[in-house]
Amino acid sequence: MSLRLELREITKQFPGVLANDRVSIQVERGKVLGLLGENGAGKSTLMNILSGIYKPDSGTIIVDGEQRVFRDPAEAIEAGIGMVHQHFMLVPVFDVVESVALGAETATGPLGTFDRAAARAKIVELSKRYGLSVDPDAKIESLPVGVRQRVEILKALYRKSDVLVLDEPSAVLTPQETEELFGIIRGLASAGTSVIFITHKLHEVLEVADTITVLRRGKVVGSVKPKEADPEQLAEMMVGREVQLTVDRGQAKVGSVTLSLKGVTVLNQAGEVAVANVDLQIRAGEIVAIAGVQGNGQTELVEAVTGLRPVDSGEMTLNGESLVGASPRKISDAGVAHIPEDRSRDGMVKGMTVAENLMLNSYHRKPFSSGVTLNRSAIEAAAEKIVKDFDVRTPSIHTDIASLSGGNQQKVIVGREFSRTVSLVVAAQPTRGLDVGSIEYIHKRLVEQRDAGAAVLIVSTELDEVLALGDRIAVMFEGQIVGVLDAKDATRERVGLLMGGAAV
Amino acid sequence: MSKSAKTNAVATHVMGAEELKALRGSRIRAFIFAIFALAAFAAATANSATIANLSLWVDTIGGTDALISFPVAIVWIGSGLVLGAVAAAQYRLGGKYRWRVGIAIASPLIVTALFTTLLAGTPANLTVLFTGTFNYAGPVAIGALAGIISERSGVLNIAIEGKFLLGALSGAVASSIFGIAIAGPIAGAVIGALVGLLLAILGLRYKVDQIVAGTVINLGAAGITTFIYLRVLQIHSEFNSPVSILPVKIPVLGDLPIVGNLLFTLSPYSYLALILVAFFTYMLFRTRWGLRLRASGEMPAAAGTVGVDVMKLRYRAMILAGALAGLAGSYLALSGTGGFGMGISAGRGFIALAALIFGAWKPWNALGAALIFGFAEAASTLLSILGVGLPPQVLLAVPYVMTIIVVAGLIGRVRGPASAGRPYEQG
Repeated sequence: MSLRLELREITKQFPGVLANDRVSIQVERGKVLGLLGENGAGKSTLMNILSGIYKPDSGTIIVDGEQRVFRDPAEAIEAGIGMVHQHFMLVPVFDVVESVALGAETATGPLGTFDRAAARAKIVELSKRYGLSVDPDAKIESLPVGVRQRVEILKALYRKSDVLVLDEPSAVLTPQETEELFGIIRGLASAGTSVIFITHKLHEVLEVADTITVLRRGKVVGSVKPKEADPEQLAEMMVGREVQLTVDRGQAKVGSVTLSLKGVTVLNQAGEVAVANVDLQIRAGEIVAIAGVQGNGQTELVEAVTGLRPVDSGEMTLNGESLVGASPRKISDAGVAHIPEDRSRDGMVKGMTVAENLMLNSYHRKPFSSGVTLNRSAIEAAAEKIVKDFDVRTPSIHTDIASLSGGNQQKVIVGREFSRTVSLVVAAQPTRGLDVGSIEYIHKRLVEQRDAGAAVLIVSTELDEVLALGDRIAVMFEGQIVGVLDAKDATRERVGLLMGGAAV
Repeated sequence: MSKSAKTNAVATHVMGAEELKALRGSRIRAFIFAIFALAAFAAATANSATIANLSLWVDTIGGTDALISFPVAIVWIGSGLVLGAVAAAQYRLGGKYRWRVGIAIASPLIVTALFTTLLAGTPANLTVLFTGTFNYAGPVAIGALAGIISERSGVLNIAIEGKFLLGALSGAVASSIFGIAIAGPIAGAVIGALVGLLLAILGLRYKVDQIVAGTVINLGAAGITTFIYLRVLQIHSEFNSPVSILPVKIPVLGDLPIVGNLLFTLSPYSYLALILVAFFTYMLFRTRWGLRLRASGEMPAAAGTVGVDVMKLRYRAMILAGALAGLAGSYLALSGTGGFGMGISAGRGFIALAALIFGAWKPWNALGAALIFGFAEAASTLLSILGVGLPPQVLLAVPYVMTIIVVAGLIGRVRGPASAGRPYEQG
């Protein structure tokens, strides 16, 4: 039982946010510390301090009993801390050897020639020893995300890191890949590596961690052992109040077919087939949730349904009328609500006010427009009402939407889309990056739409969300729908296998 | 991204639109090649009586000539046959056919045919044409190399033109003052490095948009050099009487017949370009410095998080790039054309930029592009001296037209460094 690493009373202030408030954590040699917290709890800030990217305002870092100050990432690496970032830090056009060696290259000769052969041999040896199989000569951009993660771990091991920090490592993995990752983590820990595992997923820390430390709003709430903890208790620590882990919803009252896709094929930006020959029907009063690892055509499918991307071939109808070739406005006017995947790119206009953002789908209609000019008073009245109805926490409707929190921004979008009667809701990653309170709220609103008779299409890479909301669950893999399960048949394992492309 | 690999897999098992598109594309290409083949045969008929009269210097300058005479029609027929074969192969083999190879074989024939047709029998000297090409390409290639180094590190560099001008001016002045040839290029490199540093401070510290910063430097350089030329150099011509750096005959090799004149009696800048291109190709793709530089240009965060000081690296790359561009610029005033003149760079910095894009940010390819552009320039000069054929401006437009074709993605796609032009925030 020796402490490998200790953070003591770390404080970091950003303009307007106290990201870390006297945070202390301890990591033992060869143990796994689960760092649990919601988005915005300060986990990433803490890890960026640990890896030398940020400097703390106060507090100390103690490595092997010795106080250290990391002025830059190189010093943290030198102290044995290896970081696997949530967004992989790999150069897409490099191969595995180049990516792993970057920054820690052995160079020979007067010109500093990169000793590729030595680096390659070391990588092959490491990947054998830790069971991280990867082709050292493959280009990063040709590798699936699961393998890229292994490359990131190799990068840390290559630098002889014995404290491995994994930031939300399961976000891009299938459940099976996550299991594999847990196996790797256990192997590393038993070989003496300390692991800090950052996540907001309760069952993951319960499964893999030796100790769980919970962060909330920049402060440590407490530490528990997984054996003595249960999900409800952890969720409460994380959020600060009792949390409902399941979504309350009755039986779906299913009506006629609202959205129908027949043989729909959609191309991506590069002109390659992203959605291949998809058949899918969604009826009024049901929620169909599409599960799948990111990048399997979900984005393109949603863009096609909402008119943002042309359908290459196939039929797509809404209440019997064809949507192929229809403009986004026509589709919106036909009663389709769209909660886009990339909130800040497609969901709102930063720099414009809350009121203006609430009018983006109706400003051209009476009473908000009188042909040429906008009717300010009608817009303000409507905006005030939506802000109240949808519980948007904003100083005023004239506040720049960019200054709101992610949860409130999403409420503005939901308020805009749901403040009229819609027959189809298309929600892509509706709760990505939100706190638990906002997630509960958005989920409730989506179920409300279903119960009001709308057909609801949800796309999510979070398996928990898919399982909690879907009356039927469709799984996309490599552009195809590889399976549709009823909620009662959809277990984590079955959906997970489909997400990895296995036939069921 | 892994997406493309995935979607390719999809395409194979549903016979996607991609393959159809590729097939359609190759049919269209076959048709276009066939048309060009027919056009070549038509040109052969139209020029059946024209005889090309080309010549090469055999030994020293002004010595005897080796005469080459042949009917222009033969070259046209040859071009037509190669183009026809490319078209047929494209049609038969579909998307699998590597048409670029065929075009690479056909191009020299077509260029020769066009050139001799334009001459229409007027005797022309090829040695001048080729040495002109090489001498033009040297500084342009060095300028392109400067651009490659800075853009590969992640900083857009459109200020090559401005550095050419300042390099030319400082080269002329320093060479005049010190009276030795080497002072010119050194002064050009020093001033270029300072301008590179200025560009780095604007773009990296103050995060000025790098296109704007480059434009400002180009305009500023034009203004300053014009001012100094008019107010100082024209009055005190002793400051604008540099020691010229003339073509050098390499011992032994330079005495070989024909090739001695063609390849081994060139401006030192051309040999230097060759050496620098080889050197920096090695540096960029085989060394630690190169690996880190390329990582900074593609994904600076990936380099920063493993402890590479991206800012320092970019600063150094900008200074190095500036020095190379300034050095190349000094050629303009020192090549024996009477020192510095107003606007002496005449857009060559932009040609260097075009060569860098045309060469897909790879040094050897950029050198190749510089040679093609140099040939267009030399051919245009020769034709206008001889007073035949097209208006020379048409040929001068060649580099720009070719660059537009490449940038528009008509000949494959070129991809520059992903993060060039984006400021990087460290910690």
